[in-house]
Amino acid sequence: MTKLDFIERYGQENEPYICASCGNCTLVCPVYSELKWESYGPRGKLHVVKSIIEGEGEFGKDFAHKIFLCNLCEHCTSVCTTGISLDRFWEVARAEVRERGLLPAPAQFVLKSVKERGDIMWMGSADRLLWMEGIDELVKDRILKKAKVAYFLGCNVSLKSQLHDVAQSMVKIMDYAGIDFTLLGEKEVCCGAPLSWAGNLKDINEMAEKNLSLIRELGVETVVFSCPSCIQTWSEYSKSVKEDKSIELLTASQFINRLIREKRLHFEEQPMITTTFHDPCISARVLKATEEPREIMDEIPGVYHVEMNPSRQNTRCCGAHGLLDVVDPVLSSRIAERRLRDVTVTPATRIVTECPRCILAFDLAKFTTGYEMLVQDITQLVEGALSPKEQGGGKDH
Amino acid sequence: MIYSKDVTSLPDLAHQIVSPRFDVVTQPVDVLSLQNLIIYAIENGIPIVPRGNGTSGWGGAIPTRGGLCISLSAMSGILYFNEFESAVTVETGITWRDLLAFLERLGFTLPVYPSSATAATVGGFVASGGLGIGSTRNGDILKQVIGIEAILPNGKIVRLGRLLLDSKTDPLREKVEEGNSWLSEKLSDAGLGSPEQETKLFTGTYGTLGIITKVTLKTIPNLQLIPFSCSFDRMTDLVRAADRILSEVKPYYMRFLADNYTSKLRALSEYENESGKYILTGALLDTIYQNEDNIEIIKTVTNEEKGYVLDDKRSWFYWSERLYPLRIKRHGPSLVPAEMLAPMNMLPEILEKTKAELRNSKVAIEGTLSNDGTTSFMVWILDDERKKVSFTIGWYRSFQIASLAERFGGLPYAVGLWNGRHARKFYGNDSYKNLKVMKKKLDPSNIMNPLKVFGGRVTIGRESMLLGFLLGFIVTMIGGWLLPGLLNLDWLNQFLSLSLVQFLYFPNLWLLGLAGGLIAVMIIRFMRLSQALAIGIPILRILSKLLRR
Ligand SMILES: Cc1cc2nc3c(=O)[nH]c(=O)nc-3n(C[C@H](O)[C@H](O)[C@H](O)COP(=O)(O)OP(=O)(O)OC[C@H]3O[C@@H](n4cnc5c(N)ncnc54)[C@H](O)[C@@H]3O)c2cc1C
Ligand code: SF4
Ligand code: SF4
Repeated sequence: MTKLDFIERYGQENEPYICASCGNCTLVCPVYSELKWESYGPRGKLHVVKSIIEGEGEFGKDFAHKIFLCNLCEHCTSVCTTGISLDRFWEVARAEVRERGLLPAPAQFVLKSVKERGDIMWMGSADRLLWMEGIDELVKDRILKKAKVAYFLGCNVSLKSQLHDVAQSMVKIMDYAGIDFTLLGEKEVCCGAPLSWAGNLKDINEMAEKNLSLIRELGVETVVFSCPSCIQTWSEYSKSVKEDKSIELLTASQFINRLIREKRLHFEEQPMITTTFHDPCISARVLKATEEPREIMDEIPGVYHVEMNPSRQNTRCCGAHGLLDVVDPVLSSRIAERRLRDVTVTPATRIVTECPRCILAFDLAKFTTGYEMLVQDITQLVEGALSPKEQGGGKDH
Repeated sequence: MIYSKDVTSLPDLAHQIVSPRFDVVTQPVDVLSLQNLIIYAIENGIPIVPRGNGTSGWGGAIPTRGGLCISLSAMSGILYFNEFESAVTVETGITWRDLLAFLERLGFTLPVYPSSATAATVGGFVASGGLGIGSTRNGDILKQVIGIEAILPNGKIVRLGRLLLDSKTDPLREKVEEGNSWLSEKLSDAGLGSPEQETKLFTGTYGTLGIITKVTLKTIPNLQLIPFSCSFDRMTDLVRAADRILSEVKPYYMRFLADNYTSKLRALSEYENESGKYILTGALLDTIYQNEDNIEIIKTVTNEEKGYVLDDKRSWFYWSERLYPLRIKRHGPSLVPAEMLAPMNMLPEILEKTKAELRNSKVAIEGTLSNDGTTSFMVWILDDERKKVSFTIGWYRSFQIASLAERFGGLPYAVGLWNGRHARKFYGNDSYKNLKVMKKKLDPSNIMNPLKVFGGRVTIGRESMLLGFLLGFIVTMIGGWLLPGLLNLDWLNQFLSLSLVQFLYFPNLWLLGLAGGLIAVMIIRFMRLSQALAIGIPILRILSKLLRR
């Protein structure tokens, strides 16, 4: 028998035995779909952990690497016959990998960067202001202002120039709707999600708290996110969020949909845009926020929305979640390409989503496949369709 | 290692009679590469085991002598569909889920599919046979098979029944003609019909006679589906209601969940009317008008038989749960399945008897009702394989249920590896004899899924060999020492009192023991699976009784 400290510490030691070997998880796994061998799929990996516990296998470098060939996309969890929280198990297994000093180099880099720079790509707090270029007027008095609504961008949207338009669109939407909102600006730090992906479960709460204490000081009641993983991380790992339910955490589309229902947003006719919505794994399977983006698109005249297959809680991962984009970029890209193939069998010319990693993955896959389609965040679609301000705009919150 | 398991947790002891893993796992992508693999295996005498997705629990897909695992999951195309012929042809590695999704988009569905549809392959279920969703109206899966393409253990490609394909794009035509004419000869030698009439050689025989590569299945229109569910306090009431519903309504699907099953379903904890009760649930698949009438009949029958009709929401819940019969495994965490095919009217009695036999075990029981008055009776025995000794000893219980089935006029539900002893009863005497003849003709070197269905010599593990040797040694030593005194034969006494014999008494006794040990080892080496089980199971049973005391 081999003792797996982390698996036991987090109460996961029964799970490999509870698995019924039914194979449901493996058949939905994006990594298995590409690599086609059981040892890369969830059922296979669970069997290997069991054999390690039984002393028949070894927790070596090869298996440690396989643990990281996973998108933490929650698909296996959502179909598991015996109710195993597989994603939780994979996170704990990653902690075990870290404990044994077998972390893949990109995961080590992420841990170091989050710890020393407060973000995932070794930038720094000053860089969190770069996205504001060109909309200074809209944001200048917003940073660390007391307000009921806060917009939390997350590392990708703040720091990757390709995604700056997402943040700008959200700010413009809030301004259009007359929302009194605040931004954390350079005080925003990583939400903590990448720590769980890289096997450091211990420090997530502290990372979340750095943001949350500030948010609380500003009197915020609703936090709006551009990245669903930030919400998931705080809901699962922040002690204060779990205890104090007074702060509401919303995805961009949940918030925008609310603004539409409150008649704060008005749209002008669009020139026949056919869109399809890619449900990000975490929004669909964890936050269950599948209807809001569709309701939003239904409200924009001239936007025709078609469904991809699979969609909603059965959505296929974009391939970039869970650090797979840095641990195995080629595999990650293949998964994204497969998802884009789902789009090509629909009449859609635009794929809309609401997760920064999905956008980055699809942009890359568009390049590698040569598919011609526009990839957009839902905030970009909404902002682009707003009617001129004199006709719309809402009252102050 | 990962490909060497199915859903049953096996005790380490089982690996004393079957090998714990395959030597190689392969994933052919088309029929010709599969044919090459088989030819390679024949030339090198390597055992082959076909594998769908390993969701069965009777050992059919696990290794017995190492060798080659042939995973068919990369052969998963849909090759032909014709709504006027109500048929679809697929490669056998496709999952039932994907096939259903394809058909449902066209307004069709399948007359029968397994409750493991989300992961099981078409080939796996067709090769195992059995009842599934839809069997309440349409019988077992084997009745839904129109045609089959298979590769024989000698590498020949054959087609049986009526395999529907677009004949213009059939690259295998010549090979099939050659294979079929060879097979026709062998079939007529054995006094059997033409390939067209003999699909049953490959359906329900667990891949022992060949690997199924394509199947043509019946399809049906996907009319209005209405699930229903009712709860009962007593199994006898449930069975009476089920009997009446079967004859008056002919539902598409009907399943029962016993009290020990519903009490373990976490999702039912808040439903007093369901948790710990007997649930009868299923679905109608008909026109709106027929469904309306039939639902009324179900309600009336349930009320008359002292049952309680559950609302639509609960019925949809049970309908979606049809694909998750193993939810209860968390209570184990390990599972030893024991299943039988029982006459429906005997269900209450069998249930009571099973509960009594397994009173010291955690069990959950459920089953599917067929259209021929039989029911699958699934006993999920929940145990903990980490408790090595008690788990190993408790393994006999699964075999005990198979024997119980016989007492009540039932049969084991499946054969696979572990129920090979009951194969003759399972297939019927004549069919079994024919299968055996054909096995010899098609697979003379016995490389195709060895030990399954037909049994055979097992490769006993080193530990058992050593134990056998020690037992043989000790028994003959004691025998050699005590027997002369007990027999009290003059000539023997005289012989033993010779001074040379006296001088070498102990070395002789040792030699005798050694010979006894070696004989025991020889006996074990030539032991067949059925004999190993016939010796092992009673020992486990006795040990279990002793341990309980
Ligand atoms: C949740 C769950 C629900 C289930 N529900 C049902 C049910 O409703 N009814 C039922 O009868 N069983 C049921 N089973 C048992 C099992 O799922 C079925 O027998 C299933 O069809 C097996 O499919 P598979 O692809 O996993 O085959 P495997 O388990 O891989 O193989 C089964 C047998 O078929 C052979 N085989 C596989 N593919 C081929 C091929 N192409 N050619 C020749 N031989 C082949 C294998 O060697 C083996 O002997 C269930 C199991 C689970 C886990
Ligand atoms: S989380 Fe996603 S990628 Fe990881 S094992 Fe589960 S299904 Fe596969
Ligand atoms: S879905 Fe759950 S029970 Fe089934 S094989 Fe995967 S982990 Fe095991």
